[in-house]
Amino acid sequence: MTHGTSTSEQFVFSCSLSSGLHARPASHLAEVANEFVSQCALTNLRNGLFANLKSVLAVIAADVRHGDQCVIRIQGPDEQSARTTLRRFVEEALPEYDTPLAATGTVARNTTPPRVLQAAAVGCSFGLPVSRGIAQGRVVIMNDPVLPSVSSAPTGADPQLELQLIKDAIASVHKRIQEKLNQPISPSGAAVLQAELAMVRDVFLAEKLTEQVAQGKSADQAVLETGEFFTGLLRHSESESIRERASDIEEICLQLLDEIQGGVPRAVVELREPSVVVAETLAPQQFLALDRRWLKALVLEYSTTTSHTVIMARSQGIPALVGVKNARLVLLPGREVVVDANRGFVVPQLSSSVQRFYKREQKTLERRQEILHRAAGPTTTADGKTLEVAANASSSEDLVLARENGADGIGLFRTEMLLLRREDAPSEEEQFAIYAEAARTSAGRPVIIRTFDIGGDKAVPYLNLPAEDNPFLGYRGVRIYAQHQNLVQSQLRAILRASSLGDLQIMAPMISSLEEVFQFKAGISQAKRDLTLKGIAFNLNIRVGIMIEVPSVAFFLDQLCAEVDFFSIGTNDLSQYFFAADRGNPKVAGLASVRHPAFLSFLKEIVTQIHEAGKWVGMCGEMAANIQHLPLLLGLGLNEISLPAAEIPDIREKISRLRVADCEETLSRAIACRRTKEVDDLLESAQPSQTAQPLLSDQLVLLGSTSQSKEEVIQEIVDAFYIVGRTDDRHRLEEALWTREDLYSTGLGYGFATPHCKTDAVSTDSICVLKLNQPINWGSVDSEPVRMIVSIVMREPQNSGSHLQVFSTLARQLMNEEFRDRLFRVETAREAVTLLAQQLG
Amino acid sequence: MKIVAVTACPTGIAHTYMAAARLEKVAKNLGHEIKVETQGAMGIENNLTESDIRQAHIAIFAVDIEVEGRERFNGVKVIQVPLQEALKNPEGIFAKIQRSV
Repeated sequence: MTHGTSTSEQFVFSCSLSSGLHARPASHLAEVANEFVSQCALTNLRNGLFANLKSVLAVIAADVRHGDQCVIRIQGPDEQSARTTLRRFVEEALPEYDTPLAATGTVARNTTPPRVLQAAAVGCSFGLPVSRGIAQGRVVIMNDPVLPSVSSAPTGADPQLELQLIKDAIASVHKRIQEKLNQPISPSGAAVLQAELAMVRDVFLAEKLTEQVAQGKSADQAVLETGEFFTGLLRHSESESIRERASDIEEICLQLLDEIQGGVPRAVVELREPSVVVAETLAPQQFLALDRRWLKALVLEYSTTTSHTVIMARSQGIPALVGVKNARLVLLPGREVVVDANRGFVVPQLSSSVQRFYKREQKTLERRQEILHRAAGPTTTADGKTLEVAANASSSEDLVLARENGADGIGLFRTEMLLLRREDAPSEEEQFAIYAEAARTSAGRPVIIRTFDIGGDKAVPYLNLPAEDNPFLGYRGVRIYAQHQNLVQSQLRAILRASSLGDLQIMAPMISSLEEVFQFKAGISQAKRDLTLKGIAFNLNIRVGIMIEVPSVAFFLDQLCAEVDFFSIGTNDLSQYFFAADRGNPKVAGLASVRHPAFLSFLKEIVTQIHEAGKWVGMCGEMAANIQHLPLLLGLGLNEISLPAAEIPDIREKISRLRVADCEETLSRAIACRRTKEVDDLLESAQPSQTAQPLLSDQLVLLGSTSQSKEEVIQEIVDAFYIVGRTDDRHRLEEALWTREDLYSTGLGYGFATPHCKTDAVSTDSICVLKLNQPINWGSVDSEPVRMIVSIVMREPQNSGSHLQVFSTLARQLMNEEFRDRLFRVETAREAVTLLAQQLG
Repeated sequence: MKIVAVTACPTGIAHTYMAAARLEKVAKNLGHEIKVETQGAMGIENNLTESDIRQAHIAIFAVDIEVEGRERFNGVKVIQVPLQEALKNPEGIFAKIQRSV
């Protein structure tokens, strides 16, 4: 160190979080910064805002949005290790805090209700569905907690006394949150409380409060003005999710006020019957205070898809709509309403036609679920081979997404999140709760739980892990287990206990030698002994596997196969260790391509050896999540791939169109390539052709329909498409059919109608046949009522196996009296399908 | 009578072909010779050639959209009706033709 000059460390990073550095990532960042003595500061290069990195509030106020470039400057005695750790954290760990919530949060906002409801003339209130589901209940209006603008006693007599009041209040609020955290709570509920905890102990907040009191203000007034200062700061942000944090601050300030004024609790709304809570916004604490037995749905005028309240509602399965304009005016207290958070509106009254609509809707959803469950199971390729498609998960929310997207199980359940952002190790009970949830949610399908994979790059204060210059080659994963036996044992016991509830499997991270496997298995045996002694049930034959992340394991796979039940390839680490290139360093990341011929050859060797030993191998790295890679993955012959749940339906669909024989050929050719670029070109040409699904299926023949109007018939057709999985967007399919219908009626006379359209809302060309019990008016050319409906839906843009010729033949046949008579007389769905198949060639 | 016709509807999936089938059938029953060109989702089918058009006494356009290659019919008498008319009352169209020729 040179005397007389001050050194400092700095680096630039670009924010990759889609919703910016909002409260949760900011609190983790501050937590890491607080590990060090050095001063840490962040400057947002986009807006020039400057923040003390140790203050969550200051970081939030710097308004760091997706893509913003920021400089982090560190100065002090431990600046070098601080730089290394912070940089690792920002580049490697921070992206994991991006909420995977967008998948359900970005549902397009409808502006028209289904035609059946339009015909019933009920004026629906629209909003953005952020937690899906349909619920019915009576309206309960809740008003927001508002910070009074001025305290009754704005000045304080003795600054020392006022300061003490504030300190005590902070300590009590801190303690109260901590107590709640120690009780059984869902992971998302815990995340909310953790973020609040970070705010209460924020250095910037304490500074502001002290400053106000020093100016002679009373403790109350200091809290009010500080609250105003921060909410003003946050509300000024250009990012909606940061603006929303203003209510979190208000909530904290209200709790501080309660404490200062002697802990008078605020009035709590009591629910006594199935209720729909309607509010402008709802603070997490207000939400937590509501009686879960009676809370059926939430309707908020403001709030974003990522608010803490919304996250909790979603994890508890409470339907919620946000952005519902004037909800508190439009929805009358005590009135029974339906919240349709699948479509995105509230039906303000329950007429008989609304009730009839939702009764039919409930049947549709039940039948859709039945089909989904029946369809679950390994996906089959075009040549009859199977591949399990599982989901990666690290939270309750992920488990729900996995189930909704029809995952064959959880191929990688990351448990590190349980350790991060907290002051002490999670209890065995807390761990058991989440593993049990995973076992229950997965309903018999396998769940592979990876034991803690932590190390120098992820800050876990209570483990006292040393900061390292090269953490990825350092003390991480299974390597730290020997020193942290208690933590590992509590995790293994928790997993084993939950294994009596479902097919849980244990997987060790970062295995590089056989000794580590022996030690890991010895740990499992130890945990099993402890549970046996206590008489606690667990799956005695729980499967144990390892991650393949370190290249060395490829060279003693025969020995490993004798020791473990299964393997999962973690391509992210495996490729960076294989090529000795840091994925996080943009200058060399390109070297570590998973599509490099050498890497593909390496993978092929690994899978072949494992299969020769009769063991199971999956892949859970990012390589498995790229739909373009499917020909390579199928060519490898993996037993399973595991990826983010939202990708599963597309991946499944594509697998069904690929042939393993072709994929093996593609892989051989890829391995023979000389450069990654050549493999990319090869993959481009190896994508499957669209083979057409059948036009007709028994489930699209609806005989004995009880629909009573044209609106209901079209809804029933759309629902049939939805039930069999030919559309995910009922709104758009319905609109497409009506757009055509509105030009002029498709009633062609003779009691027949042919509603039809071209749309990309369906996956494939389809014909739906519906026969009504009671004829209805369709505005036909001959003014006669209609009893037989033949609906034609053509996919646009067209697949190569399009059915245009069939459609035109059908249209011509409908003009043929004999054909119409035969169709009218069919008695079973099968008969109808056979007749149409014969007549249409 | 020798008749040529063109059918075309907005989506080109159903009514184009229904109308063609209907016109063909009614024409046959009335003893006319007819050739119907369909302009639908499959593009133009059963193309009317120059000689088809030259030999025809009249052309029927049962269409809801613009006819493609309309200039082919210059010099031929054309009756244009909404497509629905060919489904609702095809006999009426032929009666009108009888009167006008």
